Amino acid sequence: MKQALDDMDKKANSPADLRVGVYVCHCGKNIGSTVDCEAVAKFASTLPHVTLAKDSLYTCSEPGQEQIKTDIREQKLNRVVVASCTPRLHEPTFRAACESAGLNPYLLEMANIREHCSWVHLHEREAATSKAKDLVAMAVARAVRLEPQFELSVPVKRSSLVIGGGVAGIQAALDMADAGYQVCLVEKSGSIGGRMAQIDKTFPTMDCSICILAPKMSEVGRHPNIQMLTLSEIKEVTGHIGNFKVKILKKARYVTDGCTACGDCIQACPQLAPDEFNAGLSIRRAIYIPFAQAVPSRYLVDMGLCLNNQGIVACDRCFQACTRKCIDFADQDKIVEIEVGTIVVATGVDVYDPTALTELGYGRFPNVITTLEFERLINAGGPSSGELIRPSDRKRPKNIAFLQCIGSRSKRSNPYCSNVCCMNTIKDALLIKEHWPETEVFVFYIDIRAFGKGFEDLFQRARREGVTFIRGIPGEIIEDISNGNLTLLGENTLLGTQYRYTMEMVILSVGIKPRSDAPIVQRLLNLSTDTDGFYMEAHPKLRPVDTTTGGVFLAGAAEGPKDIKDSVTQASAAASRANILMSKGEVKIPAVTARINTDKCVACGLCAKVCSYHAIEGSKELGYYRVVEAMCQGCGACVPECKFGALDQAHFSDAQIVSQIHEALANEPERKIVAFACNWCSYAGADFAGVSRIQYPDNVRIIRTMCSARVAPEWIELAFSMGAGAVLVSGCHPSDCHYNNANQNTVRRVEKFWKRLDKLGLNKDRLRLAWVSAAEGAQFAKVIKEMEQGLRELTPDQVLETKQKLAKRVPRKGEPV
Amino acid sequence: MTVKLWNFFPREALYECYQCARCTGSCPALEVAEALGPRETILKCLNLGHDEVVEDERLWVCCTCNVCEDRCPQKIPISDLLVALRNSAARRGNIPDKLQIAIELLAKTGRSMIVHQLDEMRAHHGLAPLMPVPIDEVREVLKKTKLDDVIEF
Repeated sequence: MKQALDDMDKKANSPADLRVGVYVCHCGKNIGSTVDCEAVAKFASTLPHVTLAKDSLYTCSEPGQEQIKTDIREQKLNRVVVASCTPRLHEPTFRAACESAGLNPYLLEMANIREHCSWVHLHEREAATSKAKDLVAMAVARAVRLEPQFELSVPVKRSSLVIGGGVAGIQAALDMADAGYQVCLVEKSGSIGGRMAQIDKTFPTMDCSICILAPKMSEVGRHPNIQMLTLSEIKEVTGHIGNFKVKILKKARYVTDGCTACGDCIQACPQLAPDEFNAGLSIRRAIYIPFAQAVPSRYLVDMGLCLNNQGIVACDRCFQACTRKCIDFADQDKIVEIEVGTIVVATGVDVYDPTALTELGYGRFPNVITTLEFERLINAGGPSSGELIRPSDRKRPKNIAFLQCIGSRSKRSNPYCSNVCCMNTIKDALLIKEHWPETEVFVFYIDIRAFGKGFEDLFQRARREGVTFIRGIPGEIIEDISNGNLTLLGENTLLGTQYRYTMEMVILSVGIKPRSDAPIVQRLLNLSTDTDGFYMEAHPKLRPVDTTTGGVFLAGAAEGPKDIKDSVTQASAAASRANILMSKGEVKIPAVTARINTDKCVACGLCAKVCSYHAIEGSKELGYYRVVEAMCQGCGACVPECKFGALDQAHFSDAQIVSQIHEALANEPERKIVAFACNWCSYAGADFAGVSRIQYPDNVRIIRTMCSARVAPEWIELAFSMGAGAVLVSGCHPSDCHYNNANQNTVRRVEKFWKRLDKLGLNKDRLRLAWVSAAEGAQFAKVIKEMEQGLRELTPDQVLETKQKLAKRVPRKGEPV
Repeated sequence: MTVKLWNFFPREALYECYQCARCTGSCPALEVAEALGPRETILKCLNLGHDEVVEDERLWVCCTCNVCEDRCPQKIPISDLLVALRNSAARRGNIPDKLQIAIELLAKTGRSMIVHQLDEMRAHHGLAPLMPVPIDEVREVLKKTKLDDVIEF
């Protein structure tokens, strides 16, 4: 490690050339009233390589920035250190200032003396000032080891892939195609349209769903910039942002382009199956068209059902019936390969199957149906041609009950609120009341969530129309076998009385859940999912349609339960985000990527194994591995994996961080807590503690890495062998990692270190692993307080013992003794 | 002797309840008697404190069939709550007379109901007389389970 530091120093500019400018910001009174900024600046001027050190009231202000620019030009500064607020706030500002004065922006370093110092030690001027000095010393030490970095520019292909042909996929495809980009829309089923095509009316405006969707579907079908692939699935995705290579399996349709959808073939087909589009309420043949408005308007053969499924033509009735001879039993699956610059994922949702809730009798009692089945039932194109009938005797029910929250908000099914069911039920209830006003409609609910524009209005309208809302979900449904009527047992919680209603039909308002094949797309595109299985956005507030994989965007309910309007909104947002990339034609990759020194690389391949982006390629045969910079996201998880010193991360190099550790432990190391915090959660969490003015002990020294997985066991070892009181490794909560669960490596490495400490008979509590999210300022403060409590019980002998035992370790292969 | 109710039931689980009343709808005791429904029990524990519940004699109507717990969408261990509440109620002397008598009978005769007429019936049906109960052993069991701490017999 020391060697690496020396190497690095030799490689950098010779010491005489290093000219560091330090700017200590008062931030008005935010820093100035707690920290003696003048003293800090004075101290900074004594540090090695520091040419000048100044304090100013607001460094981020126009005059403050001008000062930096002037000094860079006149004083020939080649490193700038700003001691002020968190780099998460003003690093871009000062980087831009440096760049405009001709200094590479990566030669700027910030010391966070506001969120991590003045705000969390409000009443301890002396301690805060001394901590600020340490933080500045750490920053200067790191600054002199910074190297200029150049952001890689990657070309972006001006074409896009949209996965999923529901309303979100359709909207995204049309938006991008209209902007002039080539779009390939891939749909798994035989027609685009998705869930929206199945729904009868939309809320809150009561538009006919297919009537507003069908024009968009045909626009997709005839758009010159859209290539539509139905009955197709994504098989393989390689490449990276700007240049994805995609393999698509296009399944055989067995019906050629000549099909005019005349329907002569279906009369001839002897094979029957439940019609998926009508939620199984009607039957279809082996040769069929998904629904009347299907795009493409072509029949297809379900080979699983067709008698000719072994490649032997045993039945050719449809072929005989087709006057245009469009049926081709020799049709075969094809692999289509395309290259695109961006990808929009709009895979949509499945509906919850309530069979598991046995007390409701779905699947056993014919008159208990789901909302999706009801949508088809009252649709004019549905199995009953829009007549309201119940399945058992095909008579019109006199009273109907809706049961809310079936499969939602429950630990027995899906824990989240499905977002659309309340309004869907209200819409359905109103539809019944409009067409068959004498029908009694009861809605059994827990909470009615009518949160959107026009929703409350619709809810009130339903109540005025005579829909009865009863708070309390029935616990049980009992069927009367003689007539198929259903008795609902439950409690009206608002009246506090038991009820017993007899209904002629019950509709379960089922929730929605991620598609069963969502994990396949997730694996292909390296996406992450939340605990509910929906795809996770890069940031829940500020990057809601981006994913953690560059160039891949989310649209529609695949990201979370959504109604049609929200799906369309998000689809346009995703298309717009993709359009930005494609219209620019190139994308800059932040220069924090991992780099492999191929001379030192022995091609063991360990680094490639931990990379969750598959950004490291190479082989034993080749003799080395290398990082594909356009794919590398800059977590640095691979770097500690290299036992040969061949890997390092730009801008977060071993030498830079080691120098920070050295400075942090320069004085009274046994009193210090060295805290490694990941940029996204834990560092931000510590910032949040500052913003919330949560006070905690002053002896923590925070070192920022992009991901907690960058923390090398060697750093922990170095800190302890320098006599550090305690070491904290902190990152995002396991499922929230910003780098596709790279922090599972953190756990592995820390656990290994604990084992080692245990083996050496050392107190392993001095190394702590803590998950702190960006919102958990209080949690960060709590961890530090607990660790500082531990330090009080620490004896000098223990510190010495740790120092000696860790120093005695056997050097690894290839490491200088 | 006071025993903390919340040692026997995780209080946080109560906050999971959103009062959907599936439990009450499933309750067979409520179908036939004035019982304290599970939903109401949880709500009262949350809003009024468990003292209110422990003093309510309707608490004893529950037949611990566990259907409420089976159907609870939030998997709240409702039967544990009801048992814990009734333990607490018994310690405070809120125990229905009929139950009190049954326990006294159990301690004295080894059976929870009076059975002296049964032997005749059994003989009529050609069944052997009931086996005598080892009363000392039963009392020992009742003492070991510390029932005598709660109820005098």
